[in-house]
Amino acid sequence: MRIGVYVCHCGTNIAATVDVAAVRDYAKTLPDVVHARDYQYMCSDPGQEMVREDIIEYHLDRVVIAACSPRMHEGTFRKVMEKGGINAYFFEEANIREQCSWVHSDREVATGKAKELVAAAVSRVHLQEALQEKEASVIPAALVIGGGIAGMTAAKDLAESGFRVTLVERKPALGGHVAKWTTTFPHMMEAQEFLTPLREKVTAHPLIDVMTHADLVDLQGFVGNYEARVRINPVFVDGDACTRCGKCVEACPVNLPDEETWFLTQRKAVVLPPPPLYPDTAVIDAEHCRHFTEDACHACADACPEQAIRFDNAVAEKTVTAGAVIVATGYELFDPVRKPELNYDKIPTVITGPQLERLLDKNGPTNGELVLDGRRPEKITFIHCVGSRDETVGNLYCSRVCCMFTAKQARVVRERYPDTRIRVCYMDMRTFCRGCEEFYNDVQHMGIYYTRGMVSEVFLRNGHPVVRFEDTFLGEVMEEETDWVVLAVGMEPPEGSDEIQNLLKLSRSADGFFLEAHPKLRPVDTDTDGIFLAGCCQGPRDIADTVSSAHAAASRAAIPLFAGKVAIDPIVAEVDTEVCAGCALCEEVCVYGALKLDERLKKMTVNEAVCKGCGACSATCPSSAIKLKNFKNNQLLAQIDALCVKGGGA
Amino acid sequence: MKEVLVIGAGIAGIQASLDMADAGFTVHLVEKEATVGGHMAQTDKVFPTLDCSSCILTPKMVSVGQHPNIRLYTLSEVGKIEGEAGNFTIEVIRHPRYVDESKCTGCGACAEACVMKGRIKNAFDMGIGKRGAVYIPFPQAVPLKYTIDPETCLTLSRGKCKKGPPCKLACAAEAINFEDTEKTVTLRVGAIVIATGYDPFDPKLKPEYGYGKYPEVLTALEVERLCSASGPTLGEIIVNGKKPTKVFFIHCVGSRDHTVDNLYCSRVCCMFTAKQAHLVKDKVPDAKVTVTYIDIRAFGKGYEEFYNRVQSEGIIYRRGVISEVFKKGDKLFVRGEDTLLGETYEEVADMVVLAAGLVQRKEGLEIIRKLGVQTGEDRFFTGPSPLDPVETGLPGIFLAGCCVGPKDIPDTVVQASGAASRAMSVLAAATSGGNG
Ligand SMILES: Cc1cc2nc3c(=O)[nH]c(=O)nc-3n(C[C@H](O)[C@H](O)[C@H](O)COP(=O)(O)OP(=O)(O)OC[C@H]3O[C@@H](n4cnc5c(N)ncnc54)[C@H](O)[C@@H]3O)c2cc1C
Ligand SMILES: Cc1cc2nc3c(=O)[nH]c(=O)nc-3n(C[C@H](O)[C@H](O)[C@H](O)COP(=O)(O)OP(=O)(O)OC[C@H]3O[C@@H](n4cnc5c(N)ncnc54)[C@H](O)[C@@H]3O)c2cc1C
Ligand code: SF4
Ligand code: SF4
Repeated sequence: MRIGVYVCHCGTNIAATVDVAAVRDYAKTLPDVVHARDYQYMCSDPGQEMVREDIIEYHLDRVVIAACSPRMHEGTFRKVMEKGGINAYFFEEANIREQCSWVHSDREVATGKAKELVAAAVSRVHLQEALQEKEASVIPAALVIGGGIAGMTAAKDLAESGFRVTLVERKPALGGHVAKWTTTFPHMMEAQEFLTPLREKVTAHPLIDVMTHADLVDLQGFVGNYEARVRINPVFVDGDACTRCGKCVEACPVNLPDEETWFLTQRKAVVLPPPPLYPDTAVIDAEHCRHFTEDACHACADACPEQAIRFDNAVAEKTVTAGAVIVATGYELFDPVRKPELNYDKIPTVITGPQLERLLDKNGPTNGELVLDGRRPEKITFIHCVGSRDETVGNLYCSRVCCMFTAKQARVVRERYPDTRIRVCYMDMRTFCRGCEEFYNDVQHMGIYYTRGMVSEVFLRNGHPVVRFEDTFLGEVMEEETDWVVLAVGMEPPEGSDEIQNLLKLSRSADGFFLEAHPKLRPVDTDTDGIFLAGCCQGPRDIADTVSSAHAAASRAAIPLFAGKVAIDPIVAEVDTEVCAGCALCEEVCVYGALKLDERLKKMTVNEAVCKGCGACSATCPSSAIKLKNFKNNQLLAQIDALCVKGGGA
Repeated sequence: MKEVLVIGAGIAGIQASLDMADAGFTVHLVEKEATVGGHMAQTDKVFPTLDCSSCILTPKMVSVGQHPNIRLYTLSEVGKIEGEAGNFTIEVIRHPRYVDESKCTGCGACAEACVMKGRIKNAFDMGIGKRGAVYIPFPQAVPLKYTIDPETCLTLSRGKCKKGPPCKLACAAEAINFEDTEKTVTLRVGAIVIATGYDPFDPKLKPEYGYGKYPEVLTALEVERLCSASGPTLGEIIVNGKKPTKVFFIHCVGSRDHTVDNLYCSRVCCMFTAKQAHLVKDKVPDAKVTVTYIDIRAFGKGYEEFYNRVQSEGIIYRRGVISEVFKKGDKLFVRGEDTLLGETYEEVADMVVLAAGLVQRKEGLEIIRKLGVQTGEDRFFTGPSPLDPVETGLPGIFLAGCCVGPKDIPDTVVQASGAASRAMSVLAAATSGGNG
């Protein structure tokens, strides 16, 4: 065996704390090491080229590089092995940066430890096995979950690139939250003006299959080859026959608070989603419809002139295959009941920003008129950061849009009702999006009072809500009577995120939103290959940033679809069938579902494309029958043994 | 048509190129500087994770240099663009490097030998570090090929250097070529991604801060270089020859400011200031570090938490930005108003950092404007809908990164992939339409 060892300076990152020349000289004394060098930047072009040339010139058959974490450059160096003509897995990276130079300050100690880490790597590389990467073919199609602007944008991009897309939305109609907004900041474009063309492109595209009122119930497989089961919940109305005449709604005897206005108004058990939505037919809500809950009521069926009501519609299930999956499940709004001092549930004129959007919407419950219980407000107080930047409710993060939607709403109210007096209580004005600082400037010149200071309480006095706040400029606590209070509620992960997390094996960040693979450089990828995030399900953001991230998720998803094949990491579990007793303990611990017992042979089998090489199975197996390639006991023990000898044991 | 042009190789251009190249398209990546990397390569650590910037960027830079589907043109500019979506004809002007890329091994013997060694301000280090006339901007440059700067090279500017140019004598690979000339390459591509990034705001336009007059007044990018372990001071905070004891950071320099006609917020300076305040405090624990601000805009994932952390490290945040930096006797003072306490103050300072904002590039954008790409009142590029920032409204031409307005690295990367998606749709359509 002929081993080459390379010690990287990483500029001064390593060399300032570790005596790299000493490590290099020490490496030369290790068994079978025929060549050792140190170099400024091993990852640089010439650094890589040097290794490649050395492999040929010195006939190296194993290489150890002492540098940074393998997470950074293992892939880079494996390619160098291949270019030099040896197996990519005859390589070991000793991490003398993150695990040594960065965490120690004593040069002597750090140098000693670096030597030990190199000795351990050398000892292990002796036993490393040659592995071959495999390829799997890719189904040229995508599955998108969530039909808000994020999901629709991603679906449209992928279809325009020529891929079949299934778009699954759990509500009866596409559109997400933006469908409920009036005008959009910062350019005051009507939300529908933006949404309608997008929805039309999506629903008309021949490659996009839209499934509304549908839930993902199962997802199996791996990048390039996913299989999903989607449950389509019936709406009990024949969409082709329905003419949206609304007679069913009139006839329905059920009245209940409407979720679509966050319970500001009532609805029936059969509803007509507002016109720009898709599909535009009446929908029966089986959970509240008396036909199902009580007495087989059929008032709507009797009223429908088209006989479009279908109480016998059943749940349907479809199987969908896809090479990549995009999650675009958006957000939900913070429920201000969790801040009892604001008395949202006690004072009817304390409402939320989203509710105000509905009231300002010309297609909304008041046809755009600013009234509640027949009364128009003369004074409105807006309160920022409700449920955001607030430790008491467990949400430390900023929701990114509430400063701006409040400014937008204040402006719309002033424009439509110029005598309304408006105060906005804020902590920091976060009008950072493009065109937004300019917008905020304009709004300040519209006679709206911006007061820096947080509100501690809202209570009722003489039938009016009173807002108590601290004006931090004046350093005074003030109490002000007002007519309406509007709470700028922030964003939270939507209900159902747990199910999606479990089905797709996603992670969540501390704020509860889905976690990206890397916060800086892989912001829409997840840890699972072939699954990507678009829009607010990864964290709060405005429409422009949502649309950007949806395009981005489409790009990342399109890579394997265009490439037509994906590489499969060869570091996977391997079963020694001679030893395997078929106890199937490992099958239970595998969170990726990569293991399956062959019932006939009573032996465990590994789906190499699904296996992530986590090693949970090999740690569980009582008879060591299942092992992780290149992480076998003898390989790891060799490494540990070397570490246990002081000074690395030359 | 399976080929695409990307203009600018900052993190935006890098990400867009890698996405499209991985998907199998041929990417022509044109960068005017000698290396890829853009501003991200200049930053030390990145907020809010405090990852070392070059540690996460270098692998991407290396991939761009090595990717079989990427043709990289450094020291190059786009000269002419004609045609339409699916079929553009592009002229790329390659400026002479005077070092043969195919021969240079990056050994650095020429730079060691250069008569001008250590005498020219290195723009990459914001002029704090020095280089010679033959140089690489920084050790991880991609491609790792030396470049001769014709303006300072004695042979090229005066026709003579010593008895024979020492660099040429030193280069064992015989890569030095003083006869190198400008070359033009013609390409045909189906789509274009514009990723030309930003310029930092020039703080001399705010003379009240004394930048350029007092050596203690620095810009944020200069502080990035000072903090960098591989920078000109090897990571030591040395200002005007001394370790600072009283440090002031000033937010919103050149942003949110109608006096310089920049009404917009630069979106990243609140956070890079928090980061730098942390780094300075970490390196000089005895220093009193004060950040003066208008609003704290810590809005990204983990940003608010980072801001809280920085505050808990003993860094003082005062609301109300400093209005003036001035000298009294031999001492430097800052004057500000603390709007929360409602009082004005004057305090001694020995390091003042200007969180200079991001502005549209001043140079090199004529060709893009000529294409018909629109600019907003903030002078950054824009399309017809502010709700879809990657679109230019021109078929086949897309925008990514800070040339569409200031943004942080994650938002830049997102937009870069986003522009790639739109470009790939155009390429796919052109291919299936039989143009390719
Ligand atoms: C009051 C208010 C006003 C705003 N005004 C503006 C504005 O003026 N300008 C602006 O730029 N931004 C504005 N925003 C922000 C804007 O709403 C968001 O940027 C946008 O909605 C994000 O889109 P999305 O697709 O990521 O999420 P959503 O709009 O939440 O869409 C997610 C979709 O996924 C579906 N879904 C969720 N879970 C599942 C599941 N498990 N299975 C299937 N489907 C699922 C949902 O039903 C929904 O249709 C405002 C926000 C608020 C709260
Ligand atoms: C002091 C400071 C600190 C920062 N710190 C952080 C941080 O910690 N975390 C974070 O997320 N963000 C940070 N940022 C923001 C970060 O710098 C940007 O998000 C990022 O660099 C934007 O990348 P870009 O590719 O869009 O632009 P750039 O980095 O500007 O790259 C543009 C590239 O295009 C090239 N180019 C320009 N014009 C042409 C042309 N005509 N032809 C050919 N090539 C051209 C340029 O040479 C350059 O290489 C910081 C910014 C500053 C100022
Ligand atoms: S966007 Fe504004 S209102 Fe919303 S949480 Fe952030 S700072 Fe508060
Ligand atoms: S990000 Fe912060 S410092 Fe920068 S311009 Fe905006 S508010 Fe000012």
